[in-house]
Amino acid sequence: MHNAKCTCWNCPAINLAGKVDFRACGQAGAQFDKKADDSQETHIMAECKRRPDLGLFDPMSITFEECPEWQKTPYGYLLKNMRVMILGVDGYLGWTLALWLGRLGCQVSGVDNYNRRNWVKERGAHTVIPISRMSERLHAAKEVLGVNINFREIDIYEERDKLKEFIDEIKPEAIVHYGECPSAPFSMIDVEHAIDVQRNNVLGTLGLLFTMRDIVPESSLLKLGTMGEYGTPLTGRPLFEGMFPADAVLHWDNREWSLGGELTPRDPVSFYHVSKVQDTFNCYEASKYWWLRSYDIMQGVIFGVHTEEVSADPRLRTRLDIDEWFGTIINRFVAQAVLDIPLTLYGAGQQIRGFIALRDAMECMTRLLASPPEPGQYAVVNQISGVKSLRQLAYIVAKVGRKHFNLPVQIQRIENPRVEADIHPFEALYEKLPKQYGFEPKVDIEEEVRRMFELLMKPEIRARIEEKKHVIIPKTWWSGVKREAQRIELINLEKEIKEDEERAKIFMGKK
Amino acid sequence: MKKAITLNSKNFQKEVLESEIPVLVDFWGSWCPPCKMVEQTIEELAGDLDGKVKVGKLNVDQYPVLRNQYSIIGLPTFILFKDGQMMKNEVGARSKKQLLKMLNEALGNII
Ligand SMILES: NC(=O)c1ccc[n+]([C@@H]2O[C@H](COP(=O)([O-])OP(=O)(O)OC[C@H]3O[C@@H](n4cnc5c(N)ncnc54)[C@H](O)[C@@H]3O)[C@@H](O)[C@H]2O)c1
Repeated sequence: MHNAKCTCWNCPAINLAGKVDFRACGQAGAQFDKKADDSQETHIMAECKRRPDLGLFDPMSITFEECPEWQKTPYGYLLKNMRVMILGVDGYLGWTLALWLGRLGCQVSGVDNYNRRNWVKERGAHTVIPISRMSERLHAAKEVLGVNINFREIDIYEERDKLKEFIDEIKPEAIVHYGECPSAPFSMIDVEHAIDVQRNNVLGTLGLLFTMRDIVPESSLLKLGTMGEYGTPLTGRPLFEGMFPADAVLHWDNREWSLGGELTPRDPVSFYHVSKVQDTFNCYEASKYWWLRSYDIMQGVIFGVHTEEVSADPRLRTRLDIDEWFGTIINRFVAQAVLDIPLTLYGAGQQIRGFIALRDAMECMTRLLASPPEPGQYAVVNQISGVKSLRQLAYIVAKVGRKHFNLPVQIQRIENPRVEADIHPFEALYEKLPKQYGFEPKVDIEEEVRRMFELLMKPEIRARIEEKKHVIIPKTWWSGVKREAQRIELINLEKEIKEDEERAKIFMGKK
Repeated sequence: MKKAITLNSKNFQKEVLESEIPVLVDFWGSWCPPCKMVEQTIEELAGDLDGKVKVGKLNVDQYPVLRNQYSIIGLPTFILFKDGQMMKNEVGARSKKQLLKMLNEALGNII
């Protein structure tokens, strides 16, 4: 088990007692400790909130493997009945994770204010897989899976006091923060949308960090970032997991420095991505100042519709959007294929992205929950299971559609409304999930695409796609122009796919 | 593969000050990103230097008495001990090559 040797030092169910000083970077260490009590061997002791009878003890002395509160699951030892609060629980990922963790025995609580439902409605779009009202969702979770979700309608940004109260009531041992606006094009519609997205995301998260400091500083935060924070540097240098490794060295003026532990440069590609970069800095600083434990998860594009739980009943399905603002790449391609609309590649279609299937993303989140960072540790993980060019992805969708569903799937290039490099090198690091957290992707991309076709070709869902097909082709330009992007050409990809395989690289660690 | 020794106030005397061979100690903290990034390098060095130089790591927040004794004011700090004495002291992230250079300079091209 990947986390067997973690100790109470990593455990969110302890209180840290003793002389914990919240100084940043140790710079003031010498002066600060003039008064240190030399008779004490260690200043930091643990007190177990679940087993107060243990008294004060050395937090390094008990491992997860030895502790009866941590129990074996397929994803590592997990805290028994772990209290996990999911912010953004009504969303694509939040709902899926709530059911998944509930089934694993976690006590799940959730917060949402239906922002996503309202944003999608405002754009005149809808989720093509229908989702029911929250009350019905909660009822079905209980009835079908025996999962109880303690839900509270709260706006994370506007209603900080309410969120604080709920966190105080639940005292979550982990907080998964999905509760942000996830769309780049939505943030580029106009100034109002750009401001809304940044305010909602950046200030919502900033408020949450203060609340954690005041109420649950030992709880572990899993905050969602995106691979898009890194952009696609044209130097072709690897996209490290948030920070430079110690062996990355800066040479200048005949001198050299190790860059180890410095945040790598970010090159966000929309005002939404900028909000995520700002979050990164806020989480980084807050962890350091207040000894919060946080993961910043640089997630690739998620695709798919399936986990055992969401597929258990139509009322348990998670949302799936296909419109230009909220429809992510593979999900949108499948919807287009179902309607015989040629799959749309923006510009060259050679943009390379990291991606991961819905089910696999849930497993990664669980493994991270099982392995909380150390006090004060801000850790970054690249959460992807592969990298491919957009035209490779289109090709896969076309292949599955033709082969298994007899659909005449075509692919087209259209004008690119975004400002981005559409031909670029790309090498993402993907080292921690497989090596530190024992993750291996389980979902075969073609298999998941096949499942998506099966679901989206159901007449009632096909009809919902048909109803909103006019919002698929983009009209939101980064330049501010509002007009439909025009077709450049229909393409056949057999030959090009090979070239992209060479260019899309993944780095799984030094030999 | 030889691993870095986790030091504490109980074993510091024996493992570091009374060691027969030189000891490189990494003073670190969990809230310090450069410290976390150097972790892997330290483990690699423990293996590479087995028998020549002992490698240990000490969490300064856990053992503030030792931290004060060695006046650690920035993290990570690397101190090379020989015969119970501090021979060399460097502060800040270091690449493996830089750490080896520090050891070679102090100990006379041991690697
Ligand atoms: N889906 C992807 O491909 C993908 C990829 C990378 C990163 N992410 C990130 O993962 C997270 C979840 O993504 P998703 O696809 O599930 O998006 P989503 O929009 O379906 O889920 C986010 C949820 O948060 C809620 N929310 C937003 N602002 C809120 C507020 N102020 N108060 C309370 N609730 C609020 C929304 O109503 C929504 O239900 C986001 O942070 C997103 O940026 C997603």
